Amino acid sequence: MVARLLDLAGIERNRVQLRRVSAAEGALFANYVKEVSQITTELGPFDTSKYRLRLAAIKRALGTRRLRWLSGMEHRLSIEENVYGEKTNPELMQEVLDESIQSEYHKALILEMLELQPLSVREMAEISGLPVYTVSLRLNELENERKAEFHSHEGTTARFASLVASPMSEAKAADDSDYPLLKDSDHIKVQKAVSH
Amino acid sequence: MSDNYEPKILAFLCNWCAYAGADLAGVSRFQYPPTLRVIRTMCSGRVDPLYIAGGLINGYDSVFISG
Repeated sequence: MVARLLDLAGIERNRVQLRRVSAAEGALFANYVKEVSQITTELGPFDTSKYRLRLAAIKRALGTRRLRWLSGMEHRLSIEENVYGEKTNPELMQEVLDESIQSEYHKALILEMLELQPLSVREMAEISGLPVYTVSLRLNELENERKAEFHSHEGTTARFASLVASPMSEAKAADDSDYPLLKDSDHIKVQKAVSH
Repeated sequence: MSDNYEPKILAFLCNWCAYAGADLAGVSRFQYPPTLRVIRTMCSGRVDPLYIAGGLINGYDSVFISG
């Protein structure tokens, strides 16, 4: 899942490596460290500033409820069975996963941009490099989820703003989903009630 | 890129497998590059995908998970 997000963001997926080493395999460990160092040296230093927006979007996407629910499920559903004894076709499962990852990444990217300032669809497409149609499609999804809204317009150009407070708020909401976060408007109501 | 470029790698090692493996590598004096910054976890399954993203955001050149 992380590898696919890195692909989407245009970051080399080789920057994340997973290896199995048992406690008895010191030499193997040393070899893996050499290998990973070699790979990283070939890739060169990682320029964080160039990828700041995309990395923030990756982090936000990984924190979404949808991707947290889905992570690790490929194995459980395609190798093991569900409660009805059915196995899922791994390819179909991968398709659903890819679709979810892509959708969450695009939405996270849009929210990261809107967090800084209200933007028009065209401006967002320019900053992110996504096609205008994709931005408009995902923005529509975000509006349905009440995470973005129409902000203002300049002539005939509409600008949109984020309704999500902080990057980690959804991850937090996923942690204690029994207690949905109060919206800002609710806080104001509470304050008013207290002051009266 | 300079010739003496040394990558900075964030490593998540499982306490029971790779961390012990790393210890053994040290005890047996196997040479390996000093490029890792190790975080010991109680299981490599404990490593949240968010930590990986966090590692890259905080300027590591790559992230290595082993267990």
